[in-house]
Amino acid sequence: MSRRRLLGRLATLRELVAHFVARRKFFFLPLLVVLLLAGVLLLLTGGLSYVAPFVYTLF
Amino acid sequence: MAAVLGVSAHYHDAAAALVVDGKVVAALHEERLSRVKNDPSLPRMAIDACLTLGGVDAGALDRVVFYENPYRKLERVLVGSLAAFPNGAGFFRRALRQQLGDKLWVLDELAAHLRVDRARVRFVDHHRSHAASALDCAPFDDAVALTIDGVGEAESTAIWAPGDAGPQRVASIAYPHSLGLFYAAITAYLGFRVNEGEYKVMGLAAFGEPRFADDLRDLLQVQPDGSFRLKTSAFDEHLRPDRAYGREVLERLGPARDPSRPWSFVHGRMEGEDQRFADVAASAQRVLEEAVLALARAAHERTGARHLALAGGVALNGCANARVLAEGPFARVFVQPAAGDAGGALGAALLGAREEGDLPRARDFDAALGVAADPARAMAVAQHLGLRAERVSDPEADAAARLATGEIVAWVRGRSEWGPRALGQRSLLARADQVTLRDELNRRIKGREPFRPFAPATSERHAAALFEGAPNDMTPFMTTVCRVTAELPGVTHVDGTARVQTVAQVAQGGALAGLLEALEAHGHRALLNTSLNAAGEPLAARVTDALDFFVRRKPDALYVEDVRITR
Repeated sequence: MSRRRLLGRLATLRELVAHFVARRKFFFLPLLVVLLLAGVLLLLTGGLSYVAPFVYTLF
Repeated sequence: MAAVLGVSAHYHDAAAALVVDGKVVAALHEERLSRVKNDPSLPRMAIDACLTLGGVDAGALDRVVFYENPYRKLERVLVGSLAAFPNGAGFFRRALRQQLGDKLWVLDELAAHLRVDRARVRFVDHHRSHAASALDCAPFDDAVALTIDGVGEAESTAIWAPGDAGPQRVASIAYPHSLGLFYAAITAYLGFRVNEGEYKVMGLAAFGEPRFADDLRDLLQVQPDGSFRLKTSAFDEHLRPDRAYGREVLERLGPARDPSRPWSFVHGRMEGEDQRFADVAASAQRVLEEAVLALARAAHERTGARHLALAGGVALNGCANARVLAEGPFARVFVQPAAGDAGGALGAALLGAREEGDLPRARDFDAALGVAADPARAMAVAQHLGLRAERVSDPEADAAARLATGEIVAWVRGRSEWGPRALGQRSLLARADQVTLRDELNRRIKGREPFRPFAPATSERHAAALFEGAPNDMTPFMTTVCRVTAELPGVTHVDGTARVQTVAQVAQGGALAGLLEALEAHGHRALLNTSLNAAGEPLAARVTDALDFFVRRKPDALYVEDVRITR
C-alpha cells in the first residue's frame, strides 16, 4: 500500500471517529475499535484484500 | 474559477459530473461506459471520460465532491439494523460488509484513482446534492426545491430554499418514512426489480383502476401539514431490502406477482390475475401522486416561492410531476433529466463549485453532456463488420424519407444524454402514428413488456397543437406527461397521455430538430423516440455500442452524424 493511500485510510478513520463523537453515538465505540484494529491490520498486511476475510468473519 | 468533479456511487446508477468555472461541461453515467445496467461501482470510467471531455487534468481539480456523507450513512445502517435486531441479523451482516468493504472508503478510493491529495476530496449531504442539481439547473429564479427519494443518509424527503451558500434546508422527513421505499415495495410486489422497474409500475398503472387506493392510504398516510407517514410494520425494509413489503401488504392486496410468468396482455388489455396487478399499480400511483401534491403545497406554503424544482428518484415519476404542475400552486415546475441518484453527482459538483467561490448557473441546461459521436470510427467499424456505410449529404432528409415509409431508424447525434431518457442523441425512431410499429419495436427490437408505452418527440412550435400543456419546463427532458390531442396512436398510452419531448430549434442545438423539420415534408409533426438499447441494457453512448445494437437488434438503418449504415 502506498504512503498516500495509507494516509487516506487514516484520514477516513479519523473522520469516522469525529463523526460519531460529534453525533454523540458513543455506543458505537466498540465497533469503531474493531474498525481501528482492522486499520492496524491494513498497516501490517499492506492491502484490504488480505484484511477482508477477517472483517467478514467478525461480522 | 475552479474545476470541480462530482461523483455518486455505491448505491445504484453511479455517475460523474465536471463543473468548470461554474459551468457544467461533462456528465456521464458509469453504466453507459461499463455496459452494466445501473452500475453502482465507483465510476472510474465516467470520471476519466468527464476529465477528457472537459480537458482537465486530474491534478488540476480544485475539489472532488462525493454526493453523500458516508459516515452518516453508516450510522443510519447501524442504527436501523440494531433497531430491527434480531430479525435483521442477516441484513446487518450484508450491510456491514458493503459499508466496510467499499462504501466507507469511497473518499480514499476517489483520491487514489485520481491521484489527488485526500484533503481535496470532500462530501456533501445526499439530499442537498439533489437540491443543488435542481435549483442550479432550473430555468427560473424564485424557486423552492423539493427532493424526494428512497433514502439519503437519514432523510427521504426535504424542502430547500435557494441561498448564496447553496440550498438551505427548510424541512425534512426522516427515514423510514419514504415515498421512494413505498413505491419500491409496490415495484417488488409487482415482480419488477427495485430501482429499475419503478417506471414500469407507472406505465402499468394506466391499465388499472385504483380500487386498492384506500388500503394503500392506510399504509401511506398524508398528514394535515403536507408531510406523510408510512406504516412501517407493513414495509419490512430492514429484513428484505430486495422486497421491502411485509405481510400486511399481502393481506390487503393479495399474493404478489410471480416475475417469471409472462403478462396476460391481449388486444391492449390486461386479463385475469394481471388486471389485479394493474389495479394495484394504479392505486399506488394514485396514492403517490396525492402525497407528492401535498408535499408541493407544503413547500409553497412554507416558502411562498412561485416556482418548483423537483429532484430525487421520485421526481422521475412523470405522471406525478404532471399533476403537480396542473393542480399544484406553482406557476412553473422543473425536473432536470437525471433526477435520480446519478444526478447527485451533478449537484455535488455544483455545490463544490459554489464553495470554491464560483456561482454556478446552468439556466440553459443541455443534457448533451456525454461522449461525442465519432462518425469516422463508426464508418471504419461498420465496414470491418461487413455493413454498408456511406456518407450522406443530408442525413436528416435521408432519414426522414426512410421513417416516412415505416422504417425503424437508430439515430446517433452529438454528445450522449445525461439522464435515463433518450433525448435524440442516442435514439431509436419510428413514425408516431402506427400501432404496428410500436408493437414491433416492443417485441422484436426492444424485447420489452407488451404494455410499455413509447414516447413522442415533436418540435416546440408544434407541441401545443399536439399535446395539452406542452411545451413546458419539463418537456425538453421527458420528465412529465401531457394529454395527447392529436391522432398519434403509436405514442399515446392507454390513458390518453404521452411522455412527450419537445425539441428546440436547430439553432438551439436540438438533436432531433433538423430531422423533425425534414419529416414535416412527409406530413408528420411528431416521431416515436425511444432509447437506443434493448430491455435490461444501458442506453448506448459510444458509436461501437450503437453498432453493436444495430447488428443484434436489426433496426433498418443507423445514422451516426452524416454516416448512414445499412446491411
